[in-house]
Amino acid sequence: MVERDPDVESAAATVTDEPSGTGRYMYAVCRGLDAHALDGVEGLGGAPLATVQHDELTAVVSTVMLSEFGEQPLRRHLEDLAWLEPVVSKHDEVVRAISVSAPTAPLRLATICFDDDAVGARLREWYLPLMQALDRVDGRAEWSVKVVVSPRSEGSTDPEKPVLSGADYLRRKKEAAQGRVASESAAQELARSIHEDLSRRAVASRELPAQDARLSGRPGTMVLNAAYLVPDEAAEPFAARIAEIAAGNPELLVDGRGPWPPYSFAMLEQR
Amino acid sequence: MTIAQGGALLGDHPDATTGGGQRGSRELAPTSLVDLLDRLLGTGVVLAGDVIVSLAGVDLVEIKLHLLITSVRAEMDRP
Repeated sequence: MVERDPDVESAAATVTDEPSGTGRYMYAVCRGLDAHALDGVEGLGGAPLATVQHDELTAVVSTVMLSEFGEQPLRRHLEDLAWLEPVVSKHDEVVRAISVSAPTAPLRLATICFDDDAVGARLREWYLPLMQALDRVDGRAEWSVKVVVSPRSEGSTDPEKPVLSGADYLRRKKEAAQGRVASESAAQELARSIHEDLSRRAVASRELPAQDARLSGRPGTMVLNAAYLVPDEAAEPFAARIAEIAAGNPELLVDGRGPWPPYSFAMLEQR
Repeated sequence: MTIAQGGALLGDHPDATTGGGQRGSRELAPTSLVDLLDRLLGTGVVLAGDVIVSLAGVDLVEIKLHLLITSVRAEMDRP
C-alpha cells in the first residue's frame, strides 16, 4: 500500500493553468433511468454517455478533455459563442433524452469531476438534497411565459382623426408620450396579475431577469420572464390558460412555451 | 392521484396532483439558446466539493450577457 501525501494531492487538484488529461462532465442526475433512454444519444464531442449509480440516483456523464473543459480554457471558451452554442445544445439534448422518461435534476453547464469515483462521491454527499429536488420535479415540467410590450402598442394615435393644426399636433404628441408612460406601468401591473394567475395554477414559479431585447430578438419591453412548474396532467389547462391570457390582452405579446425539462426548479438548497 | 371528473379543471388544484407513478414517455418542446443560457448558467443543480469546475452564478450571467450582447452588436454592425 502506497501512502499518499494529501498535500501533493490537493496541490495537483488545484493546478488548472496547464490542464491535461480528462474529466467526467455531468449532465444531470436522475432516478429510475430507462435502460434505453440514452440509446443513440452521444455526449460532448461525440463521446459515449455513461452512468454512475449511487443507491437510487443515476448521474449521466461523458469524458471531456481538460485542455478544453478545465477552468482556464473554459473561461476563455465562454466568451466564444461559436464554442458555447453547440455545448449548450448538447447539454440540453442529453438532459431532454433523460427527462422524457425519468425525474431529472439538470446540472449547471460545465460541472466536471475528476473521475467516476468523484461523481459517485458527489451523489453520496448530496443524496438527500438530490432526492428532494427529484421529488419536486417528478411528473412535472417547466413552462416559460414571457410578456413583452410591443413598441407599436405604446402611445398609438387615432388615424381616424385628421391633424387639424400645429397646436393639435403638439397636443397629440404630448398625449402619446403620457400614454406611453401610462401603458408601461399598466403593462407592469398586468404582468403582475398574469404572473399571480399562472402561479396559482402551478406548483412552483420563478421569475427570471427580463431578457435584453437585443438577445431575445423581440422589440419592446419585457415585463415578465417567468418559469412555472406544472404537473404533466395539468399541462393542457395550463397551456389553454396562457392562450386565454394572450387572446384577452392583444396589446401584449404573451409568449408561452413548454413543456421543458425542469431547468429552473431542480436547484439544491443553498448552502 | 387526482383525476379530472365531470369536467373539473385540473389546473385549479395542482398541489393536490402528481402521484409520481404515472410518468411515461412525454414530448418536450424545444428551448431557444437565450432561454437555455438563462437557465444553464443561472440556475440548475450546483454540486460543490472536489468538482474541478462548476461555474458560479453571478459573474457567469455577466459573462453571458457581455458575450451575447457583444456578438449581437457585432451582427448588427456588420455592413
